[in-house]
Amino acid sequence: MKIKEVPQDITYYEGKKRACYALDDKGKYVLVPSSGWSTEEVVNGLAVAELAAKLEKTRQAVLQGLKSPLAYHMERRQMTPAILAKTAGICRFRVRRHFRPEVFVRLKESVLQRYAQALAITCQELKNVPGK
Amino acid sequence: MSGEITADGRTFIHQHAAHCESGVASALFRNQGLDISETLVFGIGSGIFFGHLFFIKMVGLPITTFRAQPGAVFKKAGRRLGMKFVTRRFRSPQKGMDELRRLLREGKIVGLTTNIYWLSYFPDRFRFQFNGHNIIALREIEGGFRISDPILEYPVDCLTEDLERARFARGPLEPHGLMYYLESVPKNPDIRSACIDGIKDTCKMMLGIPLPIFGVRGIRFLARRIKNAPQKLGLSEACRHLANIVRMQEEIGTGGAGFRFMYAAFLQETAELFNSGEIAGLSQEMTAAGDLWREFAAVAARIIKKRGQSEDTFARVYEMLMDCASREETLFRKLKSAAGKLKS
Repeated sequence: MKIKEVPQDITYYEGKKRACYALDDKGKYVLVPSSGWSTEEVVNGLAVAELAAKLEKTRQAVLQGLKSPLAYHMERRQMTPAILAKTAGICRFRVRRHFRPEVFVRLKESVLQRYAQALAITCQELKNVPGK
Repeated sequence: MSGEITADGRTFIHQHAAHCESGVASALFRNQGLDISETLVFGIGSGIFFGHLFFIKMVGLPITTFRAQPGAVFKKAGRRLGMKFVTRRFRSPQKGMDELRRLLREGKIVGLTTNIYWLSYFPDRFRFQFNGHNIIALREIEGGFRISDPILEYPVDCLTEDLERARFARGPLEPHGLMYYLESVPKNPDIRSACIDGIKDTCKMMLGIPLPIFGVRGIRFLARRIKNAPQKLGLSEACRHLANIVRMQEEIGTGGAGFRFMYAAFLQETAELFNSGEIAGLSQEMTAAGDLWREFAAVAARIIKKRGQSEDTFARVYEMLMDCASREETLFRKLKSAAGKLKS
């Protein structure tokens, strides 16, 4: 890759630049800042869109009363039940059980507190999902 | 490049780097007075690799790695250059943070392994649960820490609670608050012999691991799986898999083309160090391999965008990957024999 081939396609990094190694005119490698590559936008955009779509689906499920808000907040933090279980110090099958709304509403304050701590949100936020 | 003052009043020069781990390692070495480039550290620490770990899944997609396991570069480079360094993990976050504060007050700068999701100074779309991002803590500031993240152009501030979460995140490859810092650096480290060690180790990893999922054989393995993916998984699922490979290849901190350009830069520096035309030629071949990887990424992105409507097909991608594999196989074989001839 030559310096002029270093992609400067989009300001996809929100103004931040990433370093790339490229060859200068004399064939020597130098560090060149890149502002983004459209290829990367396609693949990364796909992954981000996928996560967003899944999160929205979960949010709808919570609003319909099929899942507890815990499931939504876990996904918002891009966690899996296994990661959440370890972070909150609550056994994995209990975490899964707490995805059921009828189980979730009966949880003690202390358990909710642990989830809130693990997910870096307040207890109040944990009990609800955003309206839109 | 920008200067930054550490707790003991010395100046730390922040340099933009392509890969977090080699960037952190070279910055730590430089801070101790050893002027060494990022690429040299990357090569000496044998940072380049290939592996298709089809049985480990992240968000349901198999992992394809273009780098050695997290933490290896600093350890290997430090050992090969004869550095004295300390690595520590902690069970208790409180102790881990206290120890970090103590070291920073002493005027040390400390490398940290963190989870990138919790580092809120990154744009949202780059934050995902990955426990292998390396940063340097420079000093404590009010409510947080001054951080030199080699991926970014300038040092940034990080909140204490963010850093604590990032250091003690759970999940695969838990960092357990891993921190590392240098005790002492030898006066005249033997960079030449370290380069030879690094190259030999890399050749061994790329050619010699007797499992078909690693090294050059791993690339072929991946190529075959990609070719069969549309029939096996359906088009949209195959596209997801393909996108994930490209993402791993170009995502944060690879410097593009899955580190191939970085390694070519390392070979170029080595060639100058030894005045070896043979290594210089291999550097050019590595660049060509890197260009091919980037072409692969571009073709893959077109397939994904057009959802199979373009003339680019999975068979084409297969051909390209096989080409990459055979190029890299000859390259690393030549490199192995060239490294054997080099004298430190």
